[in-house]
Amino acid sequence: MIKIENLSKVYSKEDNKVVALDNINLFIEQGSIFGIIGLSGAGKSSLIRCINRIEEPTTGNILISNVNVSNLSTKRLRNLRKNIGMIFQGFNLLSSKTVFDNIAFPLKLSKVPKTEISKRVNELLELVDLTDKANSYPSQLSGGQKQRVGIARALVSNPNVLLCDEATSALDPKTTKQILDLLKRINKTFGITIILITHEMDVVKEICTHVAILENGQILEAGNTIDVFSTPRQKATQDFVDQLRVLPTSLDKDRIFSLSFTHNSAGKPLISKIIREFEVDINILSGKIEWIQDKPIGKLIVQIKTDMSTLHLIQTFLKENNVKMEVLNYE
Amino acid sequence: MNDIIALIIPSAIETLYMVFISLAFTILLGLPLGITLVVTEKGHILPNRVINFILSYFINITRSLPFVILMVFIIPFTRFLVGTTIGTTAAIVPLVFAATPFFARIVESSINEVDWGVIEASIAMGASPLQIILKALIPEAMSSLVLGVTITIINILGYSAMAGVVGGGGLGDLAVRYGYHRFQTNLMLITVLILVILVQVIQSSGNKIAQAINKK
Ligand SMILES: Nc1ncnc2c1ncn2[C@@H]1O[C@H](COP(=O)(O)OP(=O)(O)OP(=O)(O)O)[C@@H](O)[C@H]1O
Ligand SMILES: [Mg+2]
Repeated sequence: MIKIENLSKVYSKEDNKVVALDNINLFIEQGSIFGIIGLSGAGKSSLIRCINRIEEPTTGNILISNVNVSNLSTKRLRNLRKNIGMIFQGFNLLSSKTVFDNIAFPLKLSKVPKTEISKRVNELLELVDLTDKANSYPSQLSGGQKQRVGIARALVSNPNVLLCDEATSALDPKTTKQILDLLKRINKTFGITIILITHEMDVVKEICTHVAILENGQILEAGNTIDVFSTPRQKATQDFVDQLRVLPTSLDKDRIFSLSFTHNSAGKPLISKIIREFEVDINILSGKIEWIQDKPIGKLIVQIKTDMSTLHLIQTFLKENNVKMEVLNYE
Repeated sequence: MNDIIALIIPSAIETLYMVFISLAFTILLGLPLGITLVVTEKGHILPNRVINFILSYFINITRSLPFVILMVFIIPFTRFLVGTTIGTTAAIVPLVFAATPFFARIVESSINEVDWGVIEASIAMGASPLQIILKALIPEAMSSLVLGVTITIINILGYSAMAGVVGGGGLGDLAVRYGYHRFQTNLMLITVLILVILVQVIQSSGNKIAQAINKK
């Protein structure tokens, strides 16, 4: 369990001050895959780097399993870091060492006996499916293989937490999928809490159980991934989440609504029912089904030209059927 | 011809002795110095403004003195250290004095070439500053350090010829004494040839070793 309380980070260079994090509060459950998403410069890296104090927080507390990271001595901080794995966008492997020695690196730092190192590293090579590359050097590997080495290295000392800063951003979509599947498997098998930073919505949808949306150093919204994506509470979250909102400008923009179907409602013939029961015309502007955490969320953007009271009835009807109806435009 | 060989062999041994003993001390002193220069910089793993400032200035001052002047300048120190100011062993002191700051700057730039991400990853894994230096920085910079050592050897070889002239012995001294003062052009040419070959061999072995180590 990780608790972040009133965390702020201000970078100051001479008179120049940049507030990268502004009073962040987060609770991250043990065993979850927690995504932090935001645009470039939102403060994502600053946030994840404060967790293992690679970056010093300006104010606030970070508690990992009730240990306050913020005021640990240098020595205890180093020991704590041995229990927090981290993987990087640029992999950050030692180019002078083989795959085996890269994975063994954290154990050598802790002076683990040689035979034990060898046993553990071989286990991890198997886990990330790189046994045949044990004696290769990083320069001889593909991006995906390098990141698998990075993951093996991060896991070799049995950490409770895995921090991933844009772990897949340097990879192509197919390799990204492989790495995400690996992370998911690791999370399931070992119950490791994974905190994952990304600017790609698809990454969050693919594996995150929870998500926080970061903008200008503040959390816009945080919670269960499905809740946040299907029923965003904040306007800004909607803007961020709802890529379907981009409508052609030539369109008649009156009475446009967004309908979100969750797994309880998707699959029922609700639209045709509305057309029949309320005797209205529905113009479907766009639509798609998104899969979040292996569960479908249907998104429809529709135009319903009818009066206010009928619209209210429709909204009530949809709500009863677990569909959220939001007004996108009403002129 | 036999006379020439009889002259050259002991001189060559003197040169090699001067160069490699000086090199050993230069590495011993210059490597920690160069690394300290890097890690005490602001934002690095052991920031310390005072140490960084003092070291940097000390190195700049020693590097700006011409070798001949430096040699004379540190005569009292040489006498204190080895008991004499002439001879091959005495020449080692100014050689180390001149080569160490040079090598330290080379080490500095080699260590600076190491990707910051690697350092950051080591910190994230809980490495101590000493572990970062020994297990990450030095291995990662090794290939570049070997090239630096190669250049330093050649540099010391050049200085050693100068040190020889003022009583250090070695090939440089031989060339000047016999070749220049006694007009034995043959001997001078052979000595120069040996020096040229020596430099070539050192440089190409250095390059080969560096290449073999480089896994980038
Ligand atoms: N070392 C630093 N010194 C000064 N300002 C910094 C430093 N690191 C980050 N910043 C600033 O803090 C803000 C947040 O940066 P951060 O790297 O956390 O963003 P990010 O969300 O990770 O962005 P990206 O997606 O581009 O990686 C930015 O305005 C950035 O310019
Ligand atoms: Mg970032």
